[in-house]
Amino acid sequence: MKRGFGLKSYALLYLLFLYAPILILPLFAFNAGTVVSFPLKGFTTQWFGEMWADQNLRQALGRSLIIAFSTATISTILGIFAARASVRYRFPGKGPVFGLILLPMVLPDIVVAMALLVVLLSLGVTLSIGTIIMGHVLLCMPFAVAILTSAFQSLDKSLEEAALDLGETPWSTFRLIILPLVMPGIIASFLICFTISIDEFVVANFLGSGKPVLSVYIFGQFRFPAKVPAMLALGTILVAFSVCLLAIAEYFRRRGIAKTGGKDSGGFL
Amino acid sequence: MTSADKPTMIEFKDVHKYYGDYHALRGINGKIRAGEFFSLLGPSGCGKTTLLRTIAGFEDISSGAVLIDGKSMANVPANVRPTNMVFQSYAIFPHMSVAENVGFGLRRDPRSKAEKAKAVEEALEMVGLKGYGARAAHALSGGQRQRVALARALILKPKVLLLDEPLSALDKKMREHMQVELIKLQRQVGITFILVTHDQEEALVMSDRIAVMFEGEIAQLADPETLYRRPNSKKVADFIGTMNFIPCEIVSEAGEHVTVDAKGLGRVDLDIGQAPPARGEAPVVGLRPETLTLLYPGQTATERATEGVIDEVIYFGDMTYYDVYLGGTDVEVRLSMRNVPGRPVLDVGTKVQVAWSPSALVLFR
Repeated sequence: MKRGFGLKSYALLYLLFLYAPILILPLFAFNAGTVVSFPLKGFTTQWFGEMWADQNLRQALGRSLIIAFSTATISTILGIFAARASVRYRFPGKGPVFGLILLPMVLPDIVVAMALLVVLLSLGVTLSIGTIIMGHVLLCMPFAVAILTSAFQSLDKSLEEAALDLGETPWSTFRLIILPLVMPGIIASFLICFTISIDEFVVANFLGSGKPVLSVYIFGQFRFPAKVPAMLALGTILVAFSVCLLAIAEYFRRRGIAKTGGKDSGGFL
Repeated sequence: MTSADKPTMIEFKDVHKYYGDYHALRGINGKIRAGEFFSLLGPSGCGKTTLLRTIAGFEDISSGAVLIDGKSMANVPANVRPTNMVFQSYAIFPHMSVAENVGFGLRRDPRSKAEKAKAVEEALEMVGLKGYGARAAHALSGGQRQRVALARALILKPKVLLLDEPLSALDKKMREHMQVELIKLQRQVGITFILVTHDQEEALVMSDRIAVMFEGEIAQLADPETLYRRPNSKKVADFIGTMNFIPCEIVSEAGEHVTVDAKGLGRVDLDIGQAPPARGEAPVVGLRPETLTLLYPGQTATERATEGVIDEVIYFGDMTYYDVYLGGTDVEVRLSMRNVPGRPVLDVGTKVQVAWSPSALVLFR
């Protein structure tokens, strides 16, 4: 027996355990049977058609996309300000401020959702897509700030000073030097916030207005056995979509490194 | 030095800088002349980089004034000052080509694209990088990056070029090569160069004048030869090159003459010019290693000679350093001898005669 066999098989089992359930999704999404069980009954694309014909689902998807896009944009822009302040400036109360920004990362979502709901209702705010975006920004900010802080940190301060020295204003320096160099971080932050928002369930359920977003809609559909295969079809599409997003993020990350001549140290793919 | 009559380019008037409680610059006064190659020399943390950055406008001063070409730089931001800087890290913009880097400062220049491209090509040619314009900046070697940084700073024809330890990242050969290139370049463009360095040899080689800094103050501001031969304090003498310090007693002092009794050397008459202002320290006389000479058989001293015993021999190829106990005392001096034909390297324990000249002595007290 070769050395390291035990560890190799452990790694294999681990990966299998992690990804096998996800591989079940496409398997049954293309299965002709209405029940999710073996043996398979033959190939069909019927569930994809059924899924697409579902008016409510399309509306839920639309809402989710609006929320995810807005959340990712707002979180990333706020994250740029916070990361810049965190890396470049010293000010009183900096530690506590950044501690509070990062806190939602460890707070249970349900606590955040309940607290927000209580506050919003007592303020008389009507629940809508807007309130969900608000909650999602709160949840995404820690990730945006963490990603962008590391992007800003790897930037040599003399690059900024050199641009100032060569006659640029602080704003044009930001636009011409800083922004292009942290762009991979900005794209990564946007994509991560987008994916966090689009599959978030708790806050979306609590702060929603009764018109469900995608995650809430899927959860609701699972109560009807007849709808399950269509949801599996939807799941298959979401998995494919996630893999694509990840690949894009990785592409930009690598291109960013190649452009600046840095050494590749890790990454997702 | 002929630069003495050149107009003043930069003037410091009692410049202080505090970082919280830390007093980084403690009353800097001094003038840098137009067209001069000036160095700020000192150990790390002495404030030399801070002083350079106050010229560039990256550092506000707490009190005092910095004047460039007669104009106060108070409230003048870095981007409109007539200075350009070569950074220690070179700060080459990694997402741009060599030509884009060099031409960066011309963005607001009203000249046509073709004229700017020509200016960039000329600047690259000046630093020996002709034809490198299209290359990616990150694909360059350390020496090439530095040339790009130089071209980028010089293309704007600043009144003053600031260089923050520009050679410290290069290997020894490359560094020595670039020292000569920088001197040539400075003569060619005639711009005032201000170099920050912790390498005393580099400062001596390159500068017209040097300000030696310790703990936020200028200890001595002089030309390299004066600094080397007539340092105004033990600290400066110790920082620049090697100097032997020999304890002594002051026998008498009258008018232009000081007589000292130095351990191992005996009684010496000195000119008052060899004794910088007293600081209340225990008196010592300083002697540079090359002002002491080993006498080989048949040679006699032209001025003074002292007996000694060789304690250590350090062979350098072109030179040999000897550590010698003087005149049966525990005073040990280091002296250097050129290894020329007919001058064998001597062994440890050899009894020797050491020749020296009273005029080479400096008295610190």
